[in-house]
Amino acid sequence: MHPTTQLSPLHRADGSATYTSNGYTIIGAVNGPIEVQRRDELPTEATLEVNVRPAVGVGSPRERHLETLLHGALRSVVLTESLPRSLVQITLQVSGMPSEEGDCGVSSSLSILPHLLHTALLALLSASIPLSTILTAALVVIPSSSSTPLVSPTANQLLRAKPIRSAHVFAFSGDGSLLMNESDGVFSLQEWDEAVEATEEVCCKEEGGVGLSEGMEVDGREGGSLDTWLREVVRGKVNWEMRWKTAR
Amino acid sequence: MPREVEISIIEREFIQNALQEGIRRDGREFDAFRPLELNFGDEYGVADVQLGKTRVIVRISVDVVAPPPERKFDGVFQIVTEFSPMASPAFEVGRPTDAEVILSRVLEKAIRRSNALDTESLCIIAGLKCFALRADVHIVDHDGGLIDASCIAVMAALQHFRRPDVIVEGEKATVLSTRERDPIPLSILHQPLSVTFSYYEEGNLFLVDADLAEEQVRQGEIIITMNRHGEICQVNKYGGAPVEPLDLLNLNNVALQKVKDISKFIQQKLDEDAKKRDAGGLMAELSAENAR
Repeated sequence: MHPTTQLSPLHRADGSATYTSNGYTIIGAVNGPIEVQRRDELPTEATLEVNVRPAVGVGSPRERHLETLLHGALRSVVLTESLPRSLVQITLQVSGMPSEEGDCGVSSSLSILPHLLHTALLALLSASIPLSTILTAALVVIPSSSSTPLVSPTANQLLRAKPIRSAHVFAFSGDGSLLMNESDGVFSLQEWDEAVEATEEVCCKEEGGVGLSEGMEVDGREGGSLDTWLREVVRGKVNWEMRWKTAR
Repeated sequence: MPREVEISIIEREFIQNALQEGIRRDGREFDAFRPLELNFGDEYGVADVQLGKTRVIVRISVDVVAPPPERKFDGVFQIVTEFSPMASPAFEVGRPTDAEVILSRVLEKAIRRSNALDTESLCIIAGLKCFALRADVHIVDHDGGLIDASCIAVMAALQHFRRPDVIVEGEKATVLSTRERDPIPLSILHQPLSVTFSYYEEGNLFLVDADLAEEQVRQGEIIITMNRHGEICQVNKYGGAPVEPLDLLNLNNVALQKVKDISKFIQQKLDEDAKKRDAGGLMAELSAENAR
């Protein structure tokens, strides 16, 4: 199942997106470019600020860790050089998590990471911040029982596939190159290669391409890759915004 | 961090002049709320309130802790409000603004100190174990009326929340998961709701549920919290201009009517939600709730 999303649901932020996938619900908002505080100001590029806020409680080291990861990935996507001495502020509010999340055997900072990346990107697109490329990300887990990687599993699938040997998050840019990787657990290089391949299939497979997609259609994964989904979402939004021009 | 954009002089005068002629910017009556929407999440205890363009999400969560030694027979209840830059870039993480301090103080007084929630019912074993209830108030979109919206959201979420059941055997308590035993609702003693009045013209003109622009123009505000039986929990006045005592009495009457309407609305939404969950009509049999 592709994530469901809505662009610009909030009226106050410059750009925003709500995102629901596999039980995770995240609201993202982007303000920018805005005035930057003196101490954060960079003379040649924009400062990127990422705030991740958990559904329950105040931010913990887990959120700070996620912020660092997101900051690294998004900095290579946002064209910060074109907005020097300004601030792009990204706020991601987690508002719902699957109830099995705690005991599915995968580090919760890994399982939420692809969803946070997608929400941040959608919010950035909605705020019209200049980007060099788009990104798509997915979680892959390799269970101990079998060597076939599970790509973007639901919390329920994870619960059934326990124990899990390793978990990986890969993010790909719009042209299909690997942008980011976070891995956890024990794995061989070959397994890692397989995991990359499986994720690439889901993230940025070209329309009509042939691959190991047979296993995926069983999961009900239809309608192309995440990349196609992302483009479709933005196309829908642009069509809606430009309806005054296209209507006759 | 940028400051909140101040309203322009022209806009300020426009709003004031329009109010003198008895017209509000969005054409509402002086004593009318903006359209109120309330949605519950799939989980228990999540309420999403939209009041015009203002949007507040409240999530209730529960944990088992040792009670504070000075209150052995009480559970813990905490309301956490933290503004995020999502609502307005002027809100900085970790540095509360005045509005945030006032909001948390008002909610604290309105809901926690008025004993809306029976904290004694959260006690599991006196002095050893109790439930710690936590209400996280997330301001998602800010267009004024935060106090009213948050108060509605917290009360709706509390009424919607179900806590897990426990079995106590001597000194040993077992918390049953939702699969083992149907979770039980909280014991709520009364439902306080806030109505904020903004006043203009040296206290001669009162508006209910001002939006952000109207809030920026006002001279001050009076927050009245009461339940639908007309019992006042608190009256707060912020801002300088004096207000006639008779006006204050009138405001109480207006507030009572509003609180009654909103209570009814919340109850109606709760019933709808209960009906949706009770798909097979089996809820009554599954329930572990005692008749009080």
